Amino acid sequence: MQNISVRLLGLTVLLVLGGCVTAPPKANFTQFRTENPHSILVVPAINKSVDVNAPDYFLATISEPLAERGYYVFPVNMVRSVLADDGLNDANLVHSGDPKRLGELFGADAIMYISIEKWEAKYVVLSTTVTVELNYTLKSSHTGAELWHNHQVVNYQPQAANSGGGIAALIADAISAAMTKAAPNYVPLAQQANAQAINTKGTGLPAGPHDALYLKDSQDF
Amino acid sequence: MIKPVRLALLITATLLVTACATTQKKYAWGTYDHSLYVYYKDPATAAALAQSLQATISAAEKTNAIVGPGIYAEYGYLLLQQGNPTAAIDAFRKEASLWPESKVFMDHMIQAASGPPRKAAASG
Repeated sequence: MQNISVRLLGLTVLLVLGGCVTAPPKANFTQFRTENPHSILVVPAINKSVDVNAPDYFLATISEPLAERGYYVFPVNMVRSVLADDGLNDANLVHSGDPKRLGELFGADAIMYISIEKWEAKYVVLSTTVTVELNYTLKSSHTGAELWHNHQVVNYQPQAANSGGGIAALIADAISAAMTKAAPNYVPLAQQANAQAINTKGTGLPAGPHDALYLKDSQDF
Repeated sequence: MIKPVRLALLITATLLVTACATTQKKYAWGTYDHSLYVYYKDPATAAALAQSLQATISAAEKTNAIVGPGIYAEYGYLLLQQGNPTAAIDAFRKEASLWPESKVFMDHMIQAASGPPRKAAASG
């Protein structure tokens, strides 16, 4: 008993020391640091999934994590409407346009282009896997250069097949799968993807001008 | 009685859990993300979105909290769509004074809102 506790203690100490996640190799932040963007304009996402609502639902999740990182984030819904009023309601058109022009129009330092690669629920036998896959690209609106890139895949499988077994568990799994299939909730997955993309040391975004660690985190970014 | 090793285990486990906990938020967001989601699900609920933004703003102003970037502007834009340019301009001014980064865009919007009413007021 004592032995197991000691081993467990050793393991948890290691986990604490290791932090939340093992740090992936540090990305190149040279261009980012040179340009030092203060404000980010998030334009509507390109949608490669079959869910037509994905770009809007995604848009609702992105302001908060970027702003809490310390950046000024332009009002996403207002930007979406203004672009649409100007005949730019096709995200592909906006993404292929010149970031410098968008920057001038809104007075933004950088433009965030997001591509929704996957936004889907796959039904396999008695369980469903919900997947959100996103590509994030931040471009300078002064030079057009890419400042930052990130890629995230987040999966969710409702507690399938881990219950006690038997016919009751099978029925429970089938119900859970059917419900997930009927109305899969992608929002928590998108939020998790955003948090991992933006906040992970070494690959996320450096602290912005409204954060206490602004320009003090160069060993991490 | 708790053995010392068990106690140490408990403490480190607690540390592990709290180490990853989300830190205190910088800004008051209210239900911004959720209200926006509901609005996109049913665009007929624009008035409810405007109401929730107004509630977030007045709650924050009462407690001297700072609303998240874009909140005043989003609210102002909905007011503009509702045909209330005066209140919209007021909200755009607040956004610009709280966030100088938004000044170019807000000045542009204030100018547009001050002019003759635009024909496409309902899109979006």
